[in-house]
Amino acid sequence: MREMAMFDVIVRGGTVVDGTGAPGFAGDVAVKDGRIAAVGQVSGEAKRVVDAQGRVVAPGFIDPHTHFDVQLLWDGAARPALEHGVTCVVPGNCSLSLAPLKASDRKAVVGMFQQIEEMPPEAFTTAFEWTWEDFAGYRSALEKGLSINVAPLVGHSVIRLWVMGPASQERAAFPDEIAAMQALLRECLEAGAVGLSTSFVDLDEHGRPVPSRYAQFEELDALCAVLGEFGRMLQVVPEFYATDITIARIDQLADLSIRHDIPTTFSPLFDTLAVPDNAERAIARVEEQFARGARVWPQMQTRPIDISFSLLRPSLFFARLPRWVRILRQPLEQRVAALNDPDTRAKMLADLGSDGGEAMFGRLVARGGDACPPEYVGKTLSEIAGLRGQPAGLALIELSLENGLDVAFLSAGQGHQSTDRIGPMLAHPLVHIGASDGGAHLASFSTYGDTGYLFSEFVRKAGAMSLEKAVAKITSETADIWGLKDRGRLATGQCADIVVFDPDAIARGDELPAFDMPGDGMRYVRAARGVDTVLVNGEVAYAAGAYTDSRSGVVCV
Amino acid sequence: MELSRQRRFVTPAPEETIEDLAARALPDQPLQAAVDSIKSWNLHVFAMRRPPGLMLGSDVIFVEPPLAHG
Repeated sequence: MREMAMFDVIVRGGTVVDGTGAPGFAGDVAVKDGRIAAVGQVSGEAKRVVDAQGRVVAPGFIDPHTHFDVQLLWDGAARPALEHGVTCVVPGNCSLSLAPLKASDRKAVVGMFQQIEEMPPEAFTTAFEWTWEDFAGYRSALEKGLSINVAPLVGHSVIRLWVMGPASQERAAFPDEIAAMQALLRECLEAGAVGLSTSFVDLDEHGRPVPSRYAQFEELDALCAVLGEFGRMLQVVPEFYATDITIARIDQLADLSIRHDIPTTFSPLFDTLAVPDNAERAIARVEEQFARGARVWPQMQTRPIDISFSLLRPSLFFARLPRWVRILRQPLEQRVAALNDPDTRAKMLADLGSDGGEAMFGRLVARGGDACPPEYVGKTLSEIAGLRGQPAGLALIELSLENGLDVAFLSAGQGHQSTDRIGPMLAHPLVHIGASDGGAHLASFSTYGDTGYLFSEFVRKAGAMSLEKAVAKITSETADIWGLKDRGRLATGQCADIVVFDPDAIARGDELPAFDMPGDGMRYVRAARGVDTVLVNGEVAYAAGAYTDSRSGVVCV
Repeated sequence: MELSRQRRFVTPAPEETIEDLAARALPDQPLQAAVDSIKSWNLHVFAMRRPPGLMLGSDVIFVEPPLAHG
């Protein structure tokens, strides 16, 4: 008599959407020892059965552009990413990672994270013990408590800083320094880095270009030669707001891709109605470069770019107002004093132009849920200024001061305003869905829920792509682009990263402030909607609205 | 596969000044005219950056004006 198969988990009775883009089919998925053991009509028993009636069963989603480097050290689930169905995240983007990093350079890199990714410095000093310098040490620290899988990039700026010290932000590297960077990168890749990230745009907290920007192209080329030894990824953040420069970067990446046989990706691919042909021209160039044999994947986020801020914290909203940035970065007491100082205030208002800030601030909306007087909640700053009989800039400052600076404003539609434009781009075969910035820009916007928004906005509402295609875009296609072995598909032998969701309900929740970060504490989050169960390497990590104690995440390359 | 024509650019050499770069990129033009042209075609470096004109090794420096796109 044939023995009945015994599995660890069977996900029963769902519609299996296997990640390849093929039509979904009724079936089961069985898991054994962290891998998928069977897909289809599965007979046998399991220690745990997940009922998937009326649900889609898909591979776990992969988020290829995040900054969870530090959060993962105290929150191995990268909450709330995992509850949205994300089972693998790529931190270390934009030239910044937490290794390799000498103890003496920690403060400098924390300052860069603070400036570029809007993360409070307390997040780096109060929530974990900083025990490592090299990449292998960082990996070990991560692996102590992961619930989610991690494919970490290593940052060009930190590699440069390790080798060159302060000169990394002063000059080109000498040949022996480039050789040392190559050796260091090789060591990181051997220790599990999925690739290298670099930045052409970012500034540190002192307003200086980050180290990677001082590199000659020859230095980047030499580092890509090392990536070529491993076939690993180069990620860059280009001057995404300027079309001609973005195209020049695409051409540089294409040359590197072909010369070293590596994949490359740039993020973000940016769409704005202010420059309507920006993304279109970039995609056209990408098409040409792919036809030439290059791999240059533009990453595009699904969500509109809506920025919130208050004067309680520095915000990228003020990026074009250096004086405002300097003032808002001061400690609270000095900041309040500066905002109250007539001379300083006059200079700040002068920065806004002759309309008193109407053009720059007038369309901001008071969010509410804070200290804002109720009569102003939901009104534009232009309306509030009218009620107060003040110019918009002055109204912003005085309303904030009157309420302990705890008045949040929303600047909606900074980019990606049109679903009709974004949908076809997301569906384009060469556009890589990503660029969420997960774990960063904490007080500016929620970086969680882009996958839910993909389904609610672009599958259900706009019909820009099928559900199967949407799943493939954020599972198998991502795994293939990044070379993530045995991830992204529901097939026998694959790692059992699985998400069970309601196809009619999956979405992102409302953007809400949460006070769950170390130190300063505040960030915007979105809860998941329609996601029932998430398995990571065969273990249930999230079910019925709650996280489990599972720690089955790994560093995966 | 022939690529469509896009705006030509160079990247700065180590220690290179705007004058050096202009002479290298636009050798047929008088130096000051070449410098002025390079500056006017690269406002992202020579106007919008703080401090203005700080050239970095990774910069894209255009050596011709924007092309017409129809």
